[in-house]
Amino acid sequence: MGRSIQQQVEACVEAFRQGSLTEASLMRIGELAEGSSKRQSLLYLQSKRTSITSAVIGMSLFKDGQFHDPTGAEDWPYGSVAEAMAEGWRIVKFPEMALLVDETRTYGFGCEFILEKWE
Amino acid sequence: MREMRTHDCEATLTDSEAMDFCREGYLVLEAVVPEEINKRTCEFLLQNERTEQLLEEDWFVDNVILNAQAAGAVRSLLGSNFKLTMPFIFNHLAQEPMEPQAWHRDGSSHYGPELDSLQVFYYPQDTPVELGPTEVLPGSHFLFGGFSHMDHYRNFKGVVSTAAPAGSIFLTVYPVWHRRGKATSAGRRNLLKYWYTRTVAPQRDWVTEPGLELAHAYHRTDFNIDHRETHRAMDDTAEMFYWLCGEHEKCRAWSNNLPVYYYESSESCLQCGHEAAARKARG
Repeated sequence: MGRSIQQQVEACVEAFRQGSLTEASLMRIGELAEGSSKRQSLLYLQSKRTSITSAVIGMSLFKDGQFHDPTGAEDWPYGSVAEAMAEGWRIVKFPEMALLVDETRTYGFGCEFILEKWE
Repeated sequence: MREMRTHDCEATLTDSEAMDFCREGYLVLEAVVPEEINKRTCEFLLQNERTEQLLEEDWFVDNVILNAQAAGAVRSLLGSNFKLTMPFIFNHLAQEPMEPQAWHRDGSSHYGPELDSLQVFYYPQDTPVELGPTEVLPGSHFLFGGFSHMDHYRNFKGVVSTAAPAGSIFLTVYPVWHRRGKATSAGRRNLLKYWYTRTVAPQRDWVTEPGLELAHAYHRTDFNIDHRETHRAMDDTAEMFYWLCGEHEKCRAWSNNLPVYYYESSESCLQCGHEAAARKARG
C-alpha cells in the first residue's frame, strides 16, 4: 500500500535528519497531494442493448459532488458507451446479464453501464 | 360524506384510444373541468388542510370526480359501475423552485395485463413546465422495477411532461414510472390524486370501431418506445387490450408459444394493412 502524504512528510523529515533527503522524496509529496485532490465522477448510461455501441436511452452524470442533468436528450454528452470511453470514461460495471434472462419480464431500464473518471 | 358507491355513465373512448392507453400507460384530458370549479378548488385547498373534505362537496364531486369526459374515459377502461376509492384523495403541493423528484412507480405496484384500477390526477391551476408538472415515461407500466432500485435514474429518452392548462385531468395505469418535474419558478402547484377501481368483469363495451379486429392491437405501426424491445412492448400492449376486451384467453396460442395475433386472420388488417404474419407462419 502506498504512503499517505503525512507518512511521506515524516519519511522526508527523517531522511533530512540523517542527511539522505533527496529531491525525488520531496517531489513525491507533491505527487501524493495532487492525487488526493482527484475526485471520482460517475456516469450511468442505460443503452438499448448490451453492446457498447448501442444507443443510449438514459443517463445520469455525477460530477464535482452533484448530479448534472441536461435539459433534453438532445443535450446528452454521449450517444453510446463507446463515445464515453473515447473521452476517457472507464467502465466499472457492465449490464447484469443474470437479470435479463427472463423472457416474460424486463427488469429495470435498459442495459446499464456504470463508468467512472478521476479528475 | 357524500355517498358514492359506484357510478355509471357513457363510455367515451374508442377502440384506438383504448389501445393507445394500453400502450402509453396514461391519458391526458386537457381543460375538461370548468374554470369556476378550478378556482373554487384552489381556494378550498388554500383554506383547508384536510383535502379529503373535498369529497363532501357536491360541486367538486360532480365536476371533477364525475367529470363527464374523465368519467367517460374511466367508464371505458374500468367498465360500468366503477368505484371511487373514497375517502382517499391527496394533494401533491409544490410551491417553490426545486430539483426533480426521483423516478418511481407507486408502492405495491403489480405488473401484468390486468387493469382493475386507475390512478388519476387533476390540476386545478395552469401548470406549465416551470411549475414542475408530473413527468411520465410512456410504456413503463410494463417495466418491472423495484422502487428502491430506481433512485439512480435521472434522464430518460421519451419522457413526456403533463404540463397542461387548469382543469386538466390525467389517468394512468398504476405502476407507470413518473416523477415531479424540476420546478424553476415559484408558484402554488396543486395536484390532486385519487383512484378508481373496477367492479365488473372486463368487456369491450366502449365506443367500438366497425370492422376493427382485436389483432390490430398488435399490428400498430406507430409503435415507438425506445426503452423496450419492440415486439415485447407490442405483445404486452396487445395482451392488455385483449384483457380489457374480456378476451385474454385468446391472446396467446399456448400450444406453440406464439401470440395468437399471428393466427387470427388470414387477411390483411383492415386498420393498418398489416399483412397477417399468419401467411408467413403458415408458409
